[in-house]
Amino acid sequence: MLALETIPGVRAAADAAAIDGMVVAEGAVVLRFAPDEVFIMFPKPGRELNEGFAQAIIARETGFVGCWLTLEELAARVVAHIDWALPVERPALAQGLVAGVPAKLWLESGRALLLCAAPYAHELTERLR
Amino acid sequence: MQRADRHPAPALAGPGRIVVDGAPVPYQAGDSVAMALIRAGAHPGRGGTLCLAGDCGNCVAEVDGIAWIRTCQADCRPGLAVERHPARGGPPLHPVAQPDVTRPPVARRIPVRRVSVDLVVIGAGESGTAAAANARLRGRTVLLLDAREDAEVVAIYGGPTVIVRSSTGMTHVHAREVIVATGAAELHPVCPGNGLRGLLTGRAAELLHAAGIDLGVAVAVGEPPRDVPCTVVAGRLVRIEGTERVSAVVTATGEGLAAAEVRTPCETLILGLGRAPRDLLARMSTGEPVAVIGPAAESFPLPPAPTAGIVCPCAGIGVDDLEGVWQRGFQELELVKRASLAGTGTCQGSVCLPHVRAWVASKSGTVPEPFTARPASRQVTLAEAAADVHLDVFKRTPLHDEHLALGGRLDRFGGWWRPWTYGDHVAEYWAVREGVSLGDVSTLGKLIVSGPDVVELLERIYPNRVGNLGPGRSRYALLLNERGHVIDDGMICRETETRFVLTFTSGGAANAEMWLRDWIETWGLKVQVMDRTMSLAAINVTGPLAGQLLGRAGLADPPRYLAHAHAEVAGVPCHVMRLSFTGEASFELHHPVDRSVELWRTLLDLGRDLGIRPHGLRNLFGLRLEKGHVIVGMDTELDSTPHRLGMDWAVRMDKPEFLGRSALARTALLPDSRRLIGLTMTSPVPTEGSPIWSDGEIVGHVTSSFDSPLLGRAVMLGWLKRTPFPEAVEIDGRRATVTRPPFYDPEGLRARA
Amino acid sequence: MNEFVETILALEWHKPKPAYDVVIIGGGGHGLATAYYLATRHGITNVAVLEANYIGSGNSGRNTTIIRANYGIPESIRFYQHSLELYGTLEDETGCWIMHSTKGLLWLAHTESAMRAERARCLLNQACGAETVMVTPEEARSICPQLDLSGGGRYPVLGASYHVGAATARHDRVVWAYAQGAMRKGVDVLQHTPVTGLLRDGERVVGVETPNGPISAGLVLSAVGGNVSTVAAMADVRLPIRTHPLQAFVTNAYALGFGPIISDTELFCYVSQTARGQMLMGAEFDPQPSYSLGSSYNFLQSCSAKVTHLLPFLRDLRILRQWTGICDISTDFSPIMGETGVPGFLVTTGWGTWGFKAIPAGGEQMAELIATGRTPAMLEPFRLDRFARELPMADQGSTGTR
Ligand SMILES: Cc1cc2nc3c(=O)[nH]c(=O)nc-3n(C[C@H](O)[C@H](O)[C@H](O)COP(=O)(O)OP(=O)(O)OC[C@H]3O[C@@H](n4cnc5c(N)ncnc54)[C@H](O)[C@@H]3O)c2cc1C
Ligand code: FES
Repeated sequence: MLALETIPGVRAAADAAAIDGMVVAEGAVVLRFAPDEVFIMFPKPGRELNEGFAQAIIARETGFVGCWLTLEELAARVVAHIDWALPVERPALAQGLVAGVPAKLWLESGRALLLCAAPYAHELTERLR
Repeated sequence: MQRADRHPAPALAGPGRIVVDGAPVPYQAGDSVAMALIRAGAHPGRGGTLCLAGDCGNCVAEVDGIAWIRTCQADCRPGLAVERHPARGGPPLHPVAQPDVTRPPVARRIPVRRVSVDLVVIGAGESGTAAAANARLRGRTVLLLDAREDAEVVAIYGGPTVIVRSSTGMTHVHAREVIVATGAAELHPVCPGNGLRGLLTGRAAELLHAAGIDLGVAVAVGEPPRDVPCTVVAGRLVRIEGTERVSAVVTATGEGLAAAEVRTPCETLILGLGRAPRDLLARMSTGEPVAVIGPAAESFPLPPAPTAGIVCPCAGIGVDDLEGVWQRGFQELELVKRASLAGTGTCQGSVCLPHVRAWVASKSGTVPEPFTARPASRQVTLAEAAADVHLDVFKRTPLHDEHLALGGRLDRFGGWWRPWTYGDHVAEYWAVREGVSLGDVSTLGKLIVSGPDVVELLERIYPNRVGNLGPGRSRYALLLNERGHVIDDGMICRETETRFVLTFTSGGAANAEMWLRDWIETWGLKVQVMDRTMSLAAINVTGPLAGQLLGRAGLADPPRYLAHAHAEVAGVPCHVMRLSFTGEASFELHHPVDRSVELWRTLLDLGRDLGIRPHGLRNLFGLRLEKGHVIVGMDTELDSTPHRLGMDWAVRMDKPEFLGRSALARTALLPDSRRLIGLTMTSPVPTEGSPIWSDGEIVGHVTSSFDSPLLGRAVMLGWLKRTPFPEAVEIDGRRATVTRPPFYDPEGLRARA
Repeated sequence: MNEFVETILALEWHKPKPAYDVVIIGGGGHGLATAYYLATRHGITNVAVLEANYIGSGNSGRNTTIIRANYGIPESIRFYQHSLELYGTLEDETGCWIMHSTKGLLWLAHTESAMRAERARCLLNQACGAETVMVTPEEARSICPQLDLSGGGRYPVLGASYHVGAATARHDRVVWAYAQGAMRKGVDVLQHTPVTGLLRDGERVVGVETPNGPISAGLVLSAVGGNVSTVAAMADVRLPIRTHPLQAFVTNAYALGFGPIISDTELFCYVSQTARGQMLMGAEFDPQPSYSLGSSYNFLQSCSAKVTHLLPFLRDLRILRQWTGICDISTDFSPIMGETGVPGFLVTTGWGTWGFKAIPAGGEQMAELIATGRTPAMLEPFRLDRFARELPMADQGSTGTR
């Protein structure tokens, strides 16, 4: 059974151009959920986005749960439940239904992060048993 | 199932025994169920020609609990249970009163594989194999599928997506292109006696002979089989004689007066009557990149129009039936099919279609197009189709387990699991009205909107004023569509000049977000949106002692009525919104989902001596009803305008523009014809949905009702849809009083306290 | 000989005439029933029904044949109850065997809000003359022993409404029964005669164009199912209708053993067994508007998943055939019948996914409207101008099961 835990980060909604020009701390992982929305996982807690983003909404986000998977786990536990093709480039963000649950996959070359909104956590873990 | 990169072929098992109708039947290595039965001198089905190629329905039986299996396509394994279909009527339904998880295949999980390739080739015959090899040479990824190798193609759907069934599960193949190379099926005979046993197509005879099965005295009509010892008789087939099994075949040569019939005794009759393309898959996938090659693409001559005999063995339809419906005016292929049922059997016309077309052509003078091809080409069970399918996702709030621990009964509402009641709903009611209570309102939709154009956006979206709302203040608002109909409601909370938090109903949140984003885009406004519905949990602290409880939790100076503030409650950062849905002082605490359990438990602890207890939805619906608050979707209908709901106060027609304004302006001129009203009457409380009567006519119905413990009578909302609106109405045969809501604390003193 | 071969009905085809009193576009159930009642009740027989393909080739020959009256608003309940009753006597009236069979329909509820809606349905149905009662899970199972009351562990049954009079009939035979009755009275049914345009005299519609030439008409009625928007556009009428595909499928035939119709308030699926023993099922219409008759695997998957949660025995049954029809869905899920504002041009539409059950009443009432020139009381709520008058017949009860 996958153990999904809160993946804290900072979520920002801003103009697409502002996000394109965004500078984040070294080592931060930036997941571009949408042209005007990002989710940023900082290597150390407490880090913030640099200011200078016009009219952005910036919020500390603890509403996502997830877990890091090895490539073997990804193939064995998750890919079988996906009805769409994974992107080939790395890193890449993929979003869609995993076992019928809205979820996101952050694919790095050696590992992957499976994310979903907290209210879905129960069903996702049940379905990926 | 793949050819080059094939699954490991099942190890060729040795001989063994299957169990047919309760009795053992031996089989040889490599036998299909049909072959084992023929080897044992039996017919797998009821009779009729066997093709052993999966085309016809003459060998179907129940195999391993699943009926309508073409036994020629089912491999034997030791102990395999085979039940033959009854001689008349369909195979039995096996009712499972309660799911018996021990019974296969209910317990069997059917795996689904998903594959993407450049090319799928269906049919590993000569042309298919060559096409696959060719494509591979050109560097394309190819999947070659053949039913004989445990890969039955169910259908080609849009995409193209090829759905494949095998004994080990389902495969969904996404392909760029599909080649159908399914070859041709052998024609069955249509003549008197064609339902007898002992009839084989040429290829079936070859297969049985090669498997070492003795065909007895065999006679061949038409093109003779290869390498099968038999007597070949010339001429055309006239009839087949015998009782149960064939005993002789009658053929004829010459025409008219010169015609001469010959009777040839036999134990097996082998028929080489020609072929018809197996093009069902190709015909069902028009508009897709699907090519047909080989015999499947050939136009074979149609057989001669049949004159007698069974034309559609699956449905048991004879040439006389075709004749009958033709005489009745059903004079084209589709009507002949629908009236006679020819072609509606388990093979979907694979066997009978060429004959019926030939017959219709002989009647009408033109050869009709084949009837529409539809899935499934090879059948699947519902379990196979449902394999790996997940229906809707039910959302859980972070307090789910807390509710269960407190004895809550959970119910699904608006896509979420929510506590319906914790057992003692009367006590829950009084905790709200006289003490303090907690409600889990995490499911509320919550959007942050921000940007230089945000006020313009909200002024256009909402029918009420937004611009004059000060930071730190909030206001109730309806959401209308362009037709002026209420689609949702919630709170508008202003945080700064250019930033607002909006709330929506639990079920309406997702639509509301799309609604807003669509209009932002349409109007080209500079506004950012962030959906926080699933990021923030919310606990409603409600009751006359709510303020006291919050004081204990460290919130010394809670916001006034319709104000909101960010503050820590019991150490948890909260957005505190003061409002009231229950009618008592209420504070909604919006906070990060990961802190929710902590906050909930602390509040329950702190309130123990205040008699705190949580309330469920059941009570919430009643509490709000005493206040006359509508619930969108429960009290409203698809066409409810604010006016009909009695909520004109939520609309500012003096605003120059907002969604639905022009519709409301237009409909304001129409006569008042539907109205949501408040009603009261003595207990017992009528069931929600009860018709409202006046003068013996139904004039409306109750949308919500509640037996108010505090008021000691039933309070209700309901629609009146008959004009002039009656003053005196009856519900359940008793007088009800039309009363203007709220029924409780009309001045709203308690909410503001 | 198969007992279900048609041996009673006979259709008589006539040569087209250049002009008719009434031209009905569309040889589906509604078009033919209207012609039938015009001829049999009102003696109006100079009528032609023009069918683009063969009669019953549209939704009337594709539906899941459920006849029920357990709607959510009085006007609808009364209309459909009337239709249900007409169906009950149709065999006697026409002498045809339409394979009518009263089965009863269980509508399962899994949540408190669904229970609330079903209780309301029962009360309103009873008040309007349709017999519908609440039953407990145990009672539901005694009506349908195959029911899994745990809903596959995911959709536990809290209760159900039981609509006693719900029935099924063979769709083709209903079409033919009306066709035969109309033809015998002299109505011309012209197959393979698509209407490609309308003849106008000023505003008034005075006939139709066909590939075989124009046909003039005193009055033109459009009864074209999912194609209504294109035909109405010929008269410059815009309708609050979207066309959505609706799919269904059947299994092979099994021994009879499944009595009622089962449907579901939450999963929006329904199951019955045909007289031939096939299990017939369907679910909601496809969310994307389209005129495509293509089938999708998605539908087969989700519908199979839904019905097997409720009726686990279905898991082992093999699927024979899947198909699609295109449905004229009105914005309030109620039919639109009668005048359009364009003189000489009437519609019967908005039959969506629920119009098979309405064929007798729809035909009877439209015939009365045409014959008398007055909208019968039963049709009054379903006039097109209700939208302009802000009186839609919003009936969520129409969707969900057919
Ligand atoms: C899968 C499915 C399941 C259903 N299940 C049910 C159910 O269980 N119960 C229920 O009550 N309803 C059900 N329905 C709905 C029901 O089938 C329809 O509402 C009903 O058949 C409509 O009848 P009709 O005569 O209006 O249209 P149709 O039967 O579609 O007839 C319209 C006819 O008009 C013809 N036509 C179109 N354009 C032209 C033209 N330009 N010129 C000439 N002719 C034209 C078409 O060829 C067609 O024959 C279902 C529908 C589908 C698709
Ligand atoms: S022979 Fe199978 S359907 Fe006619």
